[in-house]
Amino acid sequence: MRHAAAALITLATAVALSWAACAQSAPDKREPDLPPLAKQCGETSAREMALPNSARALAKDKKLKIMAIGASSASILGGMREGHPPLLEQLLERMVAGLDVEIINRGVSGELAGDAAKRLKVEVALNQPDVVLWQVGTNDAFAQVPVEDFQETVGEMVRWLRQHNVDVILVGLHYMKSLVKDVHYQAMRASLQHIANAENVPRIGRYEAMEVIARTMRESGRRDPGDFGSTEAAYDCMAQYVARAIAVGLFAKLPKP
Amino acid sequence: MRRTPNAVDFWRGYALITIFINHIPGIYFERLTHRNLSFSDSAELFVFLAGWSLGYLVGGNDAPKSTTRLMLRLGARAFQIYAAQILISSIAIAILATTAYLTDNQLILEWHNAAAVFLDPALTHIGLVLLTHQLGYFDILPLYVVLMVIAPLIALIYRFARPLLLPLSLAIYLAALIVPITVPTWPVPGQWFFNPFAWQLIFVLGFALSRDDGVGGFVQRHINVIRLVALPILVLGTVVVVFSLFPDPTLFPEPKLLFLNGKTFLTPVRLLHFLALAAVVSITYPYIARSVPWLVAFLSVLGRNSLNVFCVGSVLSLLGQVVRYLYSGSFGVDTAFVVAGIALLWLTAWVSEWRQQQTGA
Repeated sequence: MRHAAAALITLATAVALSWAACAQSAPDKREPDLPPLAKQCGETSAREMALPNSARALAKDKKLKIMAIGASSASILGGMREGHPPLLEQLLERMVAGLDVEIINRGVSGELAGDAAKRLKVEVALNQPDVVLWQVGTNDAFAQVPVEDFQETVGEMVRWLRQHNVDVILVGLHYMKSLVKDVHYQAMRASLQHIANAENVPRIGRYEAMEVIARTMRESGRRDPGDFGSTEAAYDCMAQYVARAIAVGLFAKLPKP
Repeated sequence: MRRTPNAVDFWRGYALITIFINHIPGIYFERLTHRNLSFSDSAELFVFLAGWSLGYLVGGNDAPKSTTRLMLRLGARAFQIYAAQILISSIAIAILATTAYLTDNQLILEWHNAAAVFLDPALTHIGLVLLTHQLGYFDILPLYVVLMVIAPLIALIYRFARPLLLPLSLAIYLAALIVPITVPTWPVPGQWFFNPFAWQLIFVLGFALSRDDGVGGFVQRHINVIRLVALPILVLGTVVVVFSLFPDPTLFPEPKLLFLNGKTFLTPVRLLHFLALAAVVSITYPYIARSVPWLVAFLSVLGRNSLNVFCVGSVLSLLGQVVRYLYSGSFGVDTAFVVAGIALLWLTAWVSEWRQQQTGA
């Protein structure tokens, strides 16, 4: 019975994360042979889209400068263990042979999109990253920032980054069971999805993935993992999602104009 | 004895209220604070006036306090601020934990750099005590602690090598921006939001300008001319801020921090605009004092008890965020909270002065 439940969870997780991925373009045949995600993280989670500026950096000197910004950036770099580089850095260097990854964490926990956007321009000028990981939306939803303001701020900043030859990966809102019926929270989620689609940038669908995992676990009689989003294991999953999005993006084909 | 209302306490009271409001992101009234018209915000004003207050502690040139007494007093003040930081950080952590528990939303635990407190409590508590881990919006008092720790040095240099004070401070500031020099955080890698190497300059400037000699004396003698020079700088900066005309930061030459608009390093554009603002707006105080004396008395009582009011304000700001989250912030909720919050700030100041009277302090 326990094995059946585990199999059910794994299957549902894989399906959920594949659905969450919502791939916009077919992966390139040259994409790296990616190792499987940890079991609890599912199969895949990122929209597979080209990261042309990062690919250029890779081709030029095999170096990739990643900047993390936004609320709780540690959660997208993987659990921080004393004396070790962030998990994201370790994973990427393992996935892409010879790649030298530098991670600059400029996240300010709890920061709203508007404040992050102001700092981001300065940080880009100072650090010249190839790709920005922007975890955004959750705190704006909690602070009741109007959806239109949020969409304008994030959309404008994404366009600015792309104009300045910086790739962007948006990391979506967290999942919490208590927020499923929160109208503003759900509107904020939809808004971020809209921005990702309109600006053609990858979005890590954290909410969708975690939602299905939680539901599956509940249905199989296991404890509701209400705290999944806050555990170090979840952070490590996020690092794996992001690593795959970048690794795939480095080798993906650019969409035809 | 209680100080009578004055410009320094008045503006400090104003800074305390705007910090309280600005630290509730998304609240309606944040669009009414001066940061929407200026490169700088209330943090610059607060630290500048802290430097100015150091001038009071050091005493006048005609009757200087003994060096030993001054060192002891400044050391005690630094410890008092440090203790306040530890207290309000602990309360903030408890507020986040309580809110997460009661709302069944553990994402609240990740607010304001608090995630590490709950995920890695052993190391993070060491960091909190060492001030190498700071919660978001609870990061200005650590700067204040550092400034109070170096305050005796500032006072000594002023007493025994006066011409060196500003050049030395300016040199440290420029080095911080050009190298750049930062203060790292731990255990979560990062840097202090308020870089003390940069922010010490505005503190020293506040101190120097409070004096009747040197730069302070020069400014006092030529304040009208200075205001004429400052006015176009102020207007130009405000136009740039309001209409978002600041140049693309990636186009600036190296060292970029000399040209960028950044709060962490208190970049020159912020500092210059703040000084222009202070020079011009300082002219209004006598008129305000004559026209609305109750407002001056009200804000001055907050300013006289700035540490207590700041601490209560910081905690209230966090509670304000919780209230906005729980009750889907609206104009009515925002107004009720701000009015109640300001009343509590006044009550804090009143109780502080009442207590001082009781103890004869």
